[in-house]
Amino acid sequence: MAAVAPVRRPKRRSIPVGRILLLGFFLVFVLWPLYWMFNTSIKPSDDYLTVPPVWFPTAPTLVHYEAALFAYRGLDGLINSLIISLSATVLSALFGTLMAYSLARYNTGGQHLSFWVLSQRFLPPIGIVLPVFLIYRGVGLYDTHIGLIIAYTVFTLPVSVWMMFAYFRGMPKSMEEAALVDGCTRWEAFWRVAVPLAAPGIVAAAVFAFIACWTEFFFALILTSRTAFTLPTVFRAFIGFQGAQYGEAAALAIVSLVPSIALGVLAQRHLVRGLTLGAVRG
Amino acid sequence: MQHTATISRLKAAGAPPRLSGLAQWADRHFKWLLVAPAVLLILALSVYPLLFSLVVSFINYDFQVPGHAFVGLKNFERVVFDPVARWSLLLTAWLSGISVAIEFVLGLLVALTMVRSFPGRGVIMSILIVPLFISPVIVGQAWTLLLQRPFGPTNYILTQLLGQEVTIGWMTESPWLYVSLIIADVWQWTPFMFVILLAGLTAIPPNLYEAAELDGVNAWQAFWAITLPHLAPMMLLALTFRLLDAIRMFDTIFIMTGGGPGTRTYTASYYLYTVGFTQFHLSQATAGSWLFLIFTALVVMLLVRRLLKTEPV
Repeated sequence: MAAVAPVRRPKRRSIPVGRILLLGFFLVFVLWPLYWMFNTSIKPSDDYLTVPPVWFPTAPTLVHYEAALFAYRGLDGLINSLIISLSATVLSALFGTLMAYSLARYNTGGQHLSFWVLSQRFLPPIGIVLPVFLIYRGVGLYDTHIGLIIAYTVFTLPVSVWMMFAYFRGMPKSMEEAALVDGCTRWEAFWRVAVPLAAPGIVAAAVFAFIACWTEFFFALILTSRTAFTLPTVFRAFIGFQGAQYGEAAALAIVSLVPSIALGVLAQRHLVRGLTLGAVRG
Repeated sequence: MQHTATISRLKAAGAPPRLSGLAQWADRHFKWLLVAPAVLLILALSVYPLLFSLVVSFINYDFQVPGHAFVGLKNFERVVFDPVARWSLLLTAWLSGISVAIEFVLGLLVALTMVRSFPGRGVIMSILIVPLFISPVIVGQAWTLLLQRPFGPTNYILTQLLGQEVTIGWMTESPWLYVSLIIADVWQWTPFMFVILLAGLTAIPPNLYEAAELDGVNAWQAFWAITLPHLAPMMLLALTFRLLDAIRMFDTIFIMTGGGPGTRTYTASYYLYTVGFTQFHLSQATAGSWLFLIFTALVVMLLVRRLLKTEPV
């Protein structure tokens, strides 16, 4: 029996059980915490400690959302997060595009300048935030919107610069050259010709800058307090309490993850470039 | 004569409109003006603070001790001889190493299942990337809700599955609290590996596999001979980026364990944070953060140098 040589059969389309199982398991792993958080957010507090747990709340309620947004100042955090993230995103995309264009078209500063910007991305934030805290206290930027906007602009610049750097390098320069020959200034060639052509790339870079600001916690924790606090820092209120605030924490989490997930999924075509700072074309 | 006439006519036609002195100056220094805002911002908020912190780390800058006397290397000594500091650095290395390794293997496996197109692939793709857009604070919160006793359903589910009572203190008992932190990190960042590795896998020309199949190579051999070498640069890139972020681990610890019990879950960032902001030994914290910076720089040099050498793009 063993001597029968295996005849190579034409490849059969068998059902890849292993793959389906793996993918199914992973999907459940990804979705389960999100579901449980949503479930917790609409569950009446009486259902928290039942055995077995309440998998589907029969009497959904919005009281936790109300408490999270108003009693815990979640709404203030949300508004601060919007102001700060949007401002920093605009500044980061603008300054990032300017610099990236100069690097891509004029090779400004050679490799050194571009790698210097890249190296900023890998600095541990703890090394920066301590002295920034001291400086901010000295100049009155501590716990101000402006202060955090500046910090977030700087902290998203490496990604904006490198994403746009890669984008401009992948764009033919013939249009701008034609514009220069026609008597445009360099600024006009950039602003009226290159920028409109690069618009999709700029939007993608802005989306990733926004998500980075929206989800950032460490800088906000240290550089803000009662005035300019952002949404992620509101979660400090829920640490350590035994049981009572689960619904509020979950509700606030649901509120704050909707915008960034929506943007991220919409921009997923650019995700690989965003994650690798333009090093890999998705 | 005719030549000069032609040239001047050409000049007249193509000449830029008269620019003011300022505009001419701006056009001449155009490339430097474009980089100026970004460079100035980074100088002001990254380079200057770093230099400032270098100064702070050699003087006394402590909210509990008055004065700013020069103290030499004392601040550095305090960090180096602090057992908690050494523990936190070790834990940082362990936690990030294990998390990144799991994320890499799991991410690669999931990427391999997603290379070929199948019905529903787009939707699944959109679901799998969701954790990347969530604040780590919320990730920590979500896993707290699942794991914390007595509220979290995890022990109940395990009890049902295993048929015996499970009462694990996921956030309080060693080694489970490390497991919890790693699970939270793996949940959030496996998609990162997955996305980058999938991009690498789809870039491998499919005719290589077709040729291998004609040669009678089995799937396992094809993986070693074709997939791995082609994917290697991408793997290195994904590992480098991920590792450099993983060693900053702070947010999930802040939410899930608060560094506790005791100092058992202090990572480097968490240690420096508590030294600086709950004990207010700011100069000791800046000295420690410089040491951590140097440590990170070594990792960067080791990994990024390799990366730049192998990167095909």
